[in-house]
Amino acid sequence: MSYRWEILRVNLSAGSVVKEPLDKDWTEKYFGGRGLGAKYLYEELEGSTDPLSPANKLLLATGPFTGTIMPCSGKLAILTKSPATGAILDCSIGGHFAAQLKFAGYDMLIIEGQAESPVYLVIDDEKVEIRGANHLWGRGIFETESQLHEEHGMEARVLSIGPAGEHLVPLACIGSEYYRQAGRGGVGSVMGSKKLKAVVCSGSKDVTVPDMTRLLELVKKTIRDDVLTDTNLWVHVEGTPAIVEMSNSSGVFPTRNYQDGVFEGAQKINADRIRQLQPKKKACFACALGCGNYLRMGDSAVEGPEYETLALAGANCGVDDIEAIIKFNAECDNLGIDTISSGNVLGFAMEMTEKGMKDFGIRFGDIETYLKMPRLIAYREGVGEELSHGVKHLARKYGGTEFAMEVKGLELPGYDPRGSWAMGLAYATANRGGCHMSAWPIGDEAFGELDPFTIEGKAQLVITGQNYNAIKFSLILCDFWALSMDTMSEMASCVLDRDISTADLEKAGERIWNMPRLFNVREGFEVAADFLPARIFQDPLKSGTPAGRVLPREQFDAMLQEYYQLRGWDSKGVPTPEKLKELEM
Amino acid sequence: MKLILDSEKCTGCKLCELACSARHQGVFNPKKAHLKIIDHYTETGRETKLKSCTLCMKCVEPCPVEAIAFNGKWLVIDEGLCTGCGDCVDVCPEGVIFLNSEGTAAIPNFCEGNPYCIEWCPQEAIYKEEEVA
Repeated sequence: MSYRWEILRVNLSAGSVVKEPLDKDWTEKYFGGRGLGAKYLYEELEGSTDPLSPANKLLLATGPFTGTIMPCSGKLAILTKSPATGAILDCSIGGHFAAQLKFAGYDMLIIEGQAESPVYLVIDDEKVEIRGANHLWGRGIFETESQLHEEHGMEARVLSIGPAGEHLVPLACIGSEYYRQAGRGGVGSVMGSKKLKAVVCSGSKDVTVPDMTRLLELVKKTIRDDVLTDTNLWVHVEGTPAIVEMSNSSGVFPTRNYQDGVFEGAQKINADRIRQLQPKKKACFACALGCGNYLRMGDSAVEGPEYETLALAGANCGVDDIEAIIKFNAECDNLGIDTISSGNVLGFAMEMTEKGMKDFGIRFGDIETYLKMPRLIAYREGVGEELSHGVKHLARKYGGTEFAMEVKGLELPGYDPRGSWAMGLAYATANRGGCHMSAWPIGDEAFGELDPFTIEGKAQLVITGQNYNAIKFSLILCDFWALSMDTMSEMASCVLDRDISTADLEKAGERIWNMPRLFNVREGFEVAADFLPARIFQDPLKSGTPAGRVLPREQFDAMLQEYYQLRGWDSKGVPTPEKLKELEM
Repeated sequence: MKLILDSEKCTGCKLCELACSARHQGVFNPKKAHLKIIDHYTETGRETKLKSCTLCMKCVEPCPVEAIAFNGKWLVIDEGLCTGCGDCVDVCPEGVIFLNSEGTAAIPNFCEGNPYCIEWCPQEAIYKEEEVA
C-alpha cells in the first residue's frame, strides 16, 4: 500500500527512537498531511502547552499519495503549536523530503522533547541516529545543507533551520533544498527550541498501490488532460509572479503597509520582469508542472521571488527594485526567515517611523536599511530584536494596532480584503491566523466573476474553499493543481483501493476543518479572535477598482455569524456537539 | 542507443524515475530506476544531469557467468544464468544497475528501444539518440 503504516517517534530529551504503528482508523477519517497531523497533534498535546517548551511537538506528515507517481503530490505537512500565535500551525513545504521519508518507511515523523546541545537527526531506512550538530549550529541554511550533503550524499534530503530558528525568532521558517520553506508561524523556532538543527532523510523502500497498471494509465491521462492545461500551466510558464499583475490591476496589491492597493512600481517586479532574468524551472517530487523560478541576479541566486515575497517584501515595503527583493529573498532563505511576515513587519515599522509614532530607523523604499534587516532580525540585534517579535507584539508595545496587519498574531499575506470581502472572512477564520492557504476566494472575487463588494453567498464560498483545501492538503496535492472533486475522488479511490466518493471527500474536508478549530477552542480562541485589523474596516483603499472601499464592520460581522451558522458552530464560533457527532469526531 | 537530457528543460521532478521503476519492477522506488536525475543546488549554483546507461560495457566483462551481452543496440541479460552476485551493480559507473526482487541483476535496456521515461517527461526534456558514438 501507499501507506507504510509506521510512525517514527524521536524524543530528543530521552534520546530515544521508537517505531510505532500508524492509526488506521484515523487515516480513514483524516487521510494524511494537514488532517491526520492535526488529529495527532490534538490528541498528543495538552491544552496551554508552551510552544517553545519540550512539551510541544513537531509532526512531519506525508499523505497516501506521497512516493507514488501522483502528480503534484510531493509536499510535506509540518504541524506544531505556533509560538507566533498560540494556535495550531500547519505548514506545507515542497521539494523531495516527503518522498524520502516515505521511501525510508515512515508515514509520519514525530519529534518531541528538547536536546541538551545542538543535534541533527539522520534517517536512513531503519537506521535512525541523533547526532551532534555543534559543527552546524550558527550556519545558514545553504551552508548547512551543503555540509550535510557532503556527509550523507546528494540523494539524501534535508530540512534545516538557520540562525533565526536557533535564536527562537517567531518569524523563523524551516528550509529545504535551499529555497523551499515551511514558512509561517515560527515553525523554525520550534525546531530551534528543541536544539534540532536539521533532519536528513534517505530511503530505499518500495511504495506500491494495489493496481499499479491502472494508476499508471489514470495518471498519464490525467497529466495530459487535467494537469498540463491552461488552468494550471501559468504556474509553469510564469509561476506565482503572474499574480502581481492580477493583484495590482484589481487594486488589492498590499502597498506600503496596506495603505494602498495599487503599487506604482508593480511593472518593475511583475512576471515580465522575472522572465527577463531567464529563470530555469524547478519542480517538487512528482510534479508535472514545476513552478519554481531559479534565477541569478547580481551576487544573489534564489528560487523565487514568489508572489507573496514580491507583495510583502516588495510593494508593502515600497520597494520596486527587483535586484534588492531578490537579495532580500535569498538572505531570508539562508537565515531562515519567513519573507511574508518579515515584509509585513518591516512595512509596519516603516509606517510607524514615517508617522512619527516610533522611530525604527527605516522608511518606505529605503533599500539600504531594508537589506540590513534580515540579518538583524535573525540574530535579534539592534532594531532587529524588536522587529523579530512580529507585528502584534510591536503594536501592543508602541501603538498602531489599527494598522498592525495580522490575524491571531500571524502577519497577513498579499491580498487586500477591502477589495475582496470573502478574503477577509477567509483570513479571519483561518485556523493558523492571517493565511492564504486555507481558502483563496479572491480567485472568484477580485480575480474572477463574483462581485467582491457584497457578502451575499460569501460565507458559503469560504466554507467550500476551506473544506476543499482541507481534504486536498490532507491527501497532499499541491495548491497549484486546480483539480475537481471528481478527479480527486477518482485518484483517491484508485490509490486507496476503495470507493471514495466526492461526498465522502467533502465530509472529510469538513471534518478536517473542524479538527484544528477544536485545537484552537481548547487554547481559548473564539469569536473575538476571528477578527481583522481595524484598517480593513476603517481606512478606504485609495486606488483602482476598490478605491473608496472598506470592508464595513457590520457586513463583516454578519458574514462571520452566517459562517458560524453554516458551519454548525455556536455564536462564539465553537463547533456544536451535534456537528461533531455528525462528522463522527 | 543512448538517453540524452536537455538540462535546461529538466525541472528535476523525477516522474521519469517513478515511471521506470513502476514499469520494470512494479513498484515506485527511484533507487530501482534505470535512470537517475541529479538536480540540486550547490553553494555555487544548480547542477542538473542525467545518469543512465552509456553502453560503456563495464558490466559485461566482470560477470562471472557471462550473463550480460550487448545486442548491438542495448544490453541484454540471461536471467537464467545470473547468480545475483552483484558485481555488475558495483562496477556500473552510472549507478543504474541494481538487484531486483528476484535477486537477479536488473540491467537497463532502454525498454527495448522505446524508453518509457520519455513518454512520461512533462517537459519533453529526455530524448533518445539511436547512433552510438
